[in-house]
Amino acid sequence: MTIRLEHICKHFGPVEVLKDIHLDFPERAFVTLVGPSGCGKTTLLRILAGLESASSGAIYHGTQKVSDLAPGKRDVAMVFQSYALYPHMNVFRNIAYGLKVRGTPKEETEQRVRDVARVLEIEHLLERKPKQLSGGQRQRVALGRAMVRKPWLFLMDEPLSNLDAKLRVTMRGELKRFHLRLETTTVYVTHDQLEAMTMSDKIAVMDHGVVQQYATPEEVYNRPANTFVAGFIGSPPMNFLDGAAIEDGKVTLDCGGARSSIAPSPLAGAARRNVLLGVRPQDLSVHDAAREHALPAEVSLVQLVGSEKLIDLNYGTNGRITAQVKAESPLAAGRKVWIGFDPARLHLFDPASGRNLALAENA
Amino acid sequence: MNAADTARQALAYLVLLLVTFFICFPLIWALSTSLKPAKDVMATPPRVIPREVTLANYRNLITGKQQYFRADQSYVPTTAAPQHFTAWFGNSVVVSLGSTLISIVISTLAAYSITRFRYWGRRIVPYFSLLGYMIPSIILVFPLFLVMAEFRLTNSLWSLTFGYVSITLPFCMWLLWAFFRGIPIELEEAAMMDGAGRLRVFVDIVLPSAMPGIIAAAIFSMIVSWNDYLFARVFINSIENLPLTVGVMHFFEGVHVDWGLMMASAVLMTLPMALLFMLMQRHLVAGFGAGAVKG
Repeated sequence: MTIRLEHICKHFGPVEVLKDIHLDFPERAFVTLVGPSGCGKTTLLRILAGLESASSGAIYHGTQKVSDLAPGKRDVAMVFQSYALYPHMNVFRNIAYGLKVRGTPKEETEQRVRDVARVLEIEHLLERKPKQLSGGQRQRVALGRAMVRKPWLFLMDEPLSNLDAKLRVTMRGELKRFHLRLETTTVYVTHDQLEAMTMSDKIAVMDHGVVQQYATPEEVYNRPANTFVAGFIGSPPMNFLDGAAIEDGKVTLDCGGARSSIAPSPLAGAARRNVLLGVRPQDLSVHDAAREHALPAEVSLVQLVGSEKLIDLNYGTNGRITAQVKAESPLAAGRKVWIGFDPARLHLFDPASGRNLALAENA
Repeated sequence: MNAADTARQALAYLVLLLVTFFICFPLIWALSTSLKPAKDVMATPPRVIPREVTLANYRNLITGKQQYFRADQSYVPTTAAPQHFTAWFGNSVVVSLGSTLISIVISTLAAYSITRFRYWGRRIVPYFSLLGYMIPSIILVFPLFLVMAEFRLTNSLWSLTFGYVSITLPFCMWLLWAFFRGIPIELEEAAMMDGAGRLRVFVDIVLPSAMPGIIAAAIFSMIVSWNDYLFARVFINSIENLPLTVGVMHFFEGVHVDWGLMMASAVLMTLPMALLFMLMQRHLVAGFGAGAVKG
């Protein structure tokens, strides 16, 4: 059954935290709410959990309205950022607590806790107290506590943010595997766009209490709805170039006096208009020799990041752009180069509203 | 370890020994005196280790038999001691436990409410609660006496119980308030997600997490009630309703003071608190520590 959020609004005093949120979570999907801190993603998760009530709006599980139910009656499980393991209970009792509260028979509780512990590979830790566990182990216990109840919805509030970088990558893969195995609808909150991209079936990019875009990771990456999404998703971040325009079927760029044509326009319609041009560093090519539609530039800084190099380039009078090239590239600071643009990989935004013109055209 | 370190350590131990002796000497002297027969109590030169050990003082206290001390072994007729000792001891136990129980139940609930619910005044209440301790008890005791008289509670153990609650409750609440603030709200939220209601969360999650704080508050409350002299002196006027502190004063009988009985009472009075301390020491440190850092 799908989970539907309708017109969810939330304000704390005069501060509007969530503005008219509409979302559908398909059954068994892994949905990520991503955005900068203060965007309202955690509040939305807490409303889903029932720990916070929405100022207006409703949540439906299939046809059942669940937004009036107390957190314990919703049968939703949550993994907290701090894990929130009960410090005075051992791992077994931590995992079993939800079953105990619901009056599950003892043998069944025992069986289910052991099953979950086996899946999470924490069977040998069942007698330990939370403070005797490492970060990764605590994380698993917190997951176990959520899994053992077999809820219809998992909520996860930045569960990886307390782990070190290496463990985070491992646990990311494990979380995804658990999800594929359990097939429970999961809503995951993070500020890390990489986590969102790698784990999700669908991503809701949020900013200022508004869902800026709700789509698959590919869609969000390849066709960002607006400049906020374009800038937030992807690393290194997208270049935004001022002074671009569409004229005579071409995209042109103001280089301080002269206008260079950099690519054929991906948009239909001949009318001249100013645009904000977005292009990802990965979608730029850097050439040694002049060619059609290429922009002359000079290398100002080269940063090696393992298999790639990030190249800062200056063009025109004060234009700056970052390109990503292979690590073997011999480019060095001070070199004269030509930047090539892939017309299919250009993102054109309305300079005033920030909306993606390609999507606006389809709408 | 070099010589300077050794010297420094030796000095530290010497200072600690002196301080320990200074603190422990009255206790040791009380114990020693309580074990001496009457004729040795005032013997010169004084001896810390009794020449002759007797449990007569303790026996007399507990059985209520009067102590003899004259050369002809006759009793001195007294009005009070020692036949009321067991009653006084019982009174002290009942009043201390009773007031502690009431204080802890109320302060735990109050502190939880202040940290977890939103209502007017919840921020200032904890600070005001300490204000009472800036007023000397002697100023509080007479108004309190009038209140007790109004409720016809004077000369009953209730007056002491409520009196002690009135002085221990604010500090217990303040201590627990500081403690509850250190318990992450996520723990309670996690329990709620697990299906527990507010009361169940309180009992299953909050109380066990707050246990060091509760124990610290309980010990504080026990000590204050057990050691009080002023309230008992003012509130109680019949000899059998007295707690130990005031009761033992009756061993001062006119010109004669029965030091053996006094010291035996002192030892028996100290014992429960000393035991309590020893058993709860670990929690006490954790409790006050947590309150201090997180408060």
